[in-house]
Amino acid sequence: MTFERALLDHLPNAIAVVTENGAIQFRNAAFEETFGSDDASQWLREAARAVAGERGWLHGFFIEEDGQTIDVEIEGRVYRIDKIMSVDDGAAPAAALSFEDVTREREAEQAKSDFTAQIVHDLRGPLSGIQGTLEFVLSQDSKLDALYSDLLREAQRESERMMSLINEILDFSKIKSGNFTVEEEPVRVAGVLKRAVRSLQSVAARDEVFLVSAHGRDVPQIIGSVEKLTQAVINLISNSLKFTPQKGLISVGAQVIRNDHDVAESIVVTVTDSGMGIKAHEINAIFEKYKQSGTRSIRGGGGTGLGLYIVKQIVEAHGGEVSVASIEGVGTSMVLRLPVKRAAA
Amino acid sequence: MSANPITPPKPEWARLVGDSLKQNGVWHTYAKLLEARRAYPDDLSLRGYVEIVRNTIVREFLAHPKGMQAVPKLSAEFMSNFDRFNLNAQEGYLVSLIDGRLDIQKLLILSPFDPFNTIFILAKLQAERAITVPQ
Repeated sequence: MTFERALLDHLPNAIAVVTENGAIQFRNAAFEETFGSDDASQWLREAARAVAGERGWLHGFFIEEDGQTIDVEIEGRVYRIDKIMSVDDGAAPAAALSFEDVTREREAEQAKSDFTAQIVHDLRGPLSGIQGTLEFVLSQDSKLDALYSDLLREAQRESERMMSLINEILDFSKIKSGNFTVEEEPVRVAGVLKRAVRSLQSVAARDEVFLVSAHGRDVPQIIGSVEKLTQAVINLISNSLKFTPQKGLISVGAQVIRNDHDVAESIVVTVTDSGMGIKAHEINAIFEKYKQSGTRSIRGGGGTGLGLYIVKQIVEAHGGEVSVASIEGVGTSMVLRLPVKRAAA
Repeated sequence: MSANPITPPKPEWARLVGDSLKQNGVWHTYAKLLEARRAYPDDLSLRGYVEIVRNTIVREFLAHPKGMQAVPKLSAEFMSNFDRFNLNAQEGYLVSLIDGRLDIQKLLILSPFDPFNTIFILAKLQAERAITVPQ
């Protein structure tokens, strides 16, 4: 036995060198023990086969760079497969793959996510009741003492903030558990923007911020989820409201990008504010989870640091991309590009 | 030896736009950004910088002491020499609504364009001295 062979057999992770057709060129002792050679040959061949024109997961390791990782379910357990390196010794091209059993990790993550979703769901009910009551009492404004009115408005503002935090946690738990799917329905982007603006118009008016639409009606439809895209735009406007001072301006726009044949290719949605802007060294991290600008919110109260991360996940699930522009002391613009997908004829 | 195309580094838009706003004002910066957008059509953040400048223009226009109650009027220069003003269709339409009595609030209701673009066009007409907005 060679030194390298002994070393590989000593490793706890299953390792194999596999060709693009699913043939095993090498396997270490842990691989043999975990999968057995006959069974592994069978599922590896299946992983290499194309079904209904779609290539199996093994193919991905032959078109991507080293270091690629995917989670695959094999015989009822979940394995994290990592491409260590490409192997090209003159015969068929092969890839050295490492297999780690992550079934328990995934189960724990799912249990945590289910628990969070349940708690969040249970919190939303009573909070909706509180919000409804506050809204009713405040609608009787003329009968209220000025002090009580101010205190109730403050309670209303805080309840809105709490609802937004709860919703962010719920969305984040869905993303983490892999239950975050995007419906494929026709979406009128102009309608989405209008709905998002309308839902926050009263909050903007209360904070004395101008919130205006900056798009016409001739924005083409895209394929995606009305609910999730509305939520993404609401997250962006809510974020702008936190950092825009009184008499400030938030505009919500849409532009159509056309190709050389004048066919709409994508829609660029912008939410632009006249807030205090983001510091240059923070700008690249704002779409990461738990990241919050070091700039203090004008209206107090922090967030979960998940709002913009959720926006990014929603936009990427639609095949789009996000970007940001900001000038300190002038304002910030959040930019979303959404591809115009057409339904097959 | 193969030659690889060299991608030019992305300009530091935040610094360039911030400096230009201070030194040259909003309209000059806006014109420069439109030129840059033609040179960098795929730069998503650049579109954001264009919107920040447009937002600044509209906010400055709304900062008029009378706010939405301000009443725009056609300028004397426009009345006597309107050929000099090369108005596009949208600008022409808004100019046709300005009668010296309608305030911005009413113009927004009558305008077929969205509120932001209506105010942006009014601000552009003011910058070109086709209209005045007396205090």
